[in-house]
Order: sequence, then structure tokens, then C-alpha cells
Amino acid sequence: MKAVSLVAAVGAMLVSHVAFAQTATQTVTFQVDAINEVSVSTANTSLAINSAVAGSDPVSATSTGLTWAVTTNQSGAKITGILSADMPSGLTLSVALTAPSGATAANSGNPVALSSASTDLVTGISTLAATGLSMQYKLDATAAAGVVASDSRTVTYTITGGA
Amino acid sequence: MRHRQRSLRARCLVVLVVCLGVIVIAPRESDAQSSSLSVSGSPAALQIVGAAGGAGGLPAPAVNNATTYTVKVQNKTVKKITVQLSSNMPSGVTLAISLAPPTGASSVPVTLNTTVTDAVTNITNRQAATLPITYTLNATLAAGVVGSQSRTVTFTLIDLP
Repeated sequence: MKAVSLVAAVGAMLVSHVAFAQTATQTVTFQVDAINEVSVSTANTSLAINSAVAGSDPVSATSTGLTWAVTTNQSGAKITGILSADMPSGLTLSVALTAPSGATAANSGNPVALSSASTDLVTGISTLAATGLSMQYKLDATAAAGVVASDSRTVTYTITGGA
Repeated sequence: MRHRQRSLRARCLVVLVVCLGVIVIAPRESDAQSSSLSVSGSPAALQIVGAAGGAGGLPAPAVNNATTYTVKVQNKTVKKITVQLSSNMPSGVTLAISLAPPTGASSVPVTLNTTVTDAVTNITNRQAATLPITYTLNATLAAGVVGSQSRTVTFTLIDLP
């Protein structure tokens, strides 16, 4: 019996030796913030109205080749647009943004008139990253607007996170 | 006479066991003294704040390589370092660790979870080597917003394999 106990004790010592290990620890703290980013492919574009079909208002001017991009890790985000100042009387600046997958473009994808009041352009954007989405500006003028010298407006696009 | 013989035998047995204990335990103490693993402290909080490259990009990883570990092993022993998280990361969020290996050892980046995983193997350096630890936090868009959380990373220096 004693011999068995001694053998067990020796065994335990051996096991103790084999199981030797040394440890160290670190605490890692992390977080993911709300990500809502929007950009456009170019900072400047020009639109000029310079013709009309007899009997009609001047022919609208439209931009080409512009795109926009978006990233959000939230649900139900939206893009709004606002002008730095209202357009001159008789002139209308509109923009149409192609909606990314799962989102909805305002006015069924047709141009939306911009003003100094914030306007929804795309809604229902959820957890996605998309680039190369087309956007198009359109400048309309009534005949009554007359001749308008070169002027500029800043369009600010804002993405507002959802939940 | 028989009683004295029995007593002598018992004493011899005790001496034998003590000697065995010394023989067995001695290397363990030596091992503890000669092999060591420590870290320089915990890293600053890892925080994902935006998209890589701006709008249209995926969340930019957060990286911290400001902490170090120091390791040395007993002569003629080969060891490895394993890593393990105290609990798994939230869905869509991954924490990877990369330990620069001492000379002669090798390491691989490890995506941390609750499973014990080899991070550095074939460690043989007898002189203490202090090397960088790099943490990389990644998140998918679907992970959404994740409030501040903590995990404990346990490094273990053990015999190879």
C-alpha cells in the first residue's frame, strides 16, 4: 500500500514536470464606431444653357460621367443634398443619384430639385459599400430667367446614419 | 532483527523517493528559472472609425503594434507560444495577432478565438529576446456598431509540440 502511494507520488512529480507551462496575459479593448461616408467623383462641374427649340423653353444642360460612392455600417441611412444658396429666379438645379442595392432613390430616380433646404436624395441605405454609382446634374431655365452670368453653388451631400 | 531490517528498508525507500523527487523537481525549477515569457503591458484600445480609402471602401482595420513580449528558453529545450482569447469576438469582428519570432523560431498570424492556437514555434533562444506584438482588428459592414468591449489574450509558453 505504502509502495503504491510512493509510486503515485513519484508519478505526480513527473506529471508536474511534464505539465510545466508559463503564461502571460494582455487585455485587448476594441470597438467599432458608426461608419457613414459619402463622396462624389469630382468637386467641380459646369453647366451652360445656350440653346432652345423655337417655341419652347431653353434646352436643359446635363452633366455626364459623374459618380458617387457610399459606405455605411448602419441600417436605414440616407443621403441628403443642400445648396449653398438658392438658385436665381427661373433657374433650377437638380440632381439624380442612382441608388445602391437595396436603397431607394428619391423621385423614382428622376432629378430632384436642389435648394438651400436639405432634400432627401437616397433613402434606406443599409450596411453596404458601393462605388461608381452614377449621378447627374440638370440645369433648367425658363425663358423668363433671361441671361444669367456665370455663377456657382456648392452642393453638400450628407449621409445620415440610421440605426 | 527483522524489525530493524524492515525499518532500514523503509528508510531507504524514503531516501530513494526524496532523491527521485529532487531529480524530477530540480529540472522543473531550473526550467522555471531559465524559461520565461512576459509581455510589456496591454495595448491601447483598438477602434475602427472609418472606411479604408473613404466612401465606397470597407471598414479600415485598426492596428496596434506598441506592445512587446519577451521570451527565453532553457538550454536544449524547444518551446512554443500559444494564444487564446477569453471569449469569442462579436459576429463580424475579428482580432488577429502576430508575434514577431525570435531568431530561429517561426510564427504565423493568428485570428484569435477561444481555441488554443500556436503563434510562435521552434523557440530555442537562451538569451531573452524582446519582440513586437501586432494586433489587427477587422470588422465587416454587417458587424454594425460595436460598443467598447474587452477580451483577455493568454500567451502560454510550453514545450514543443
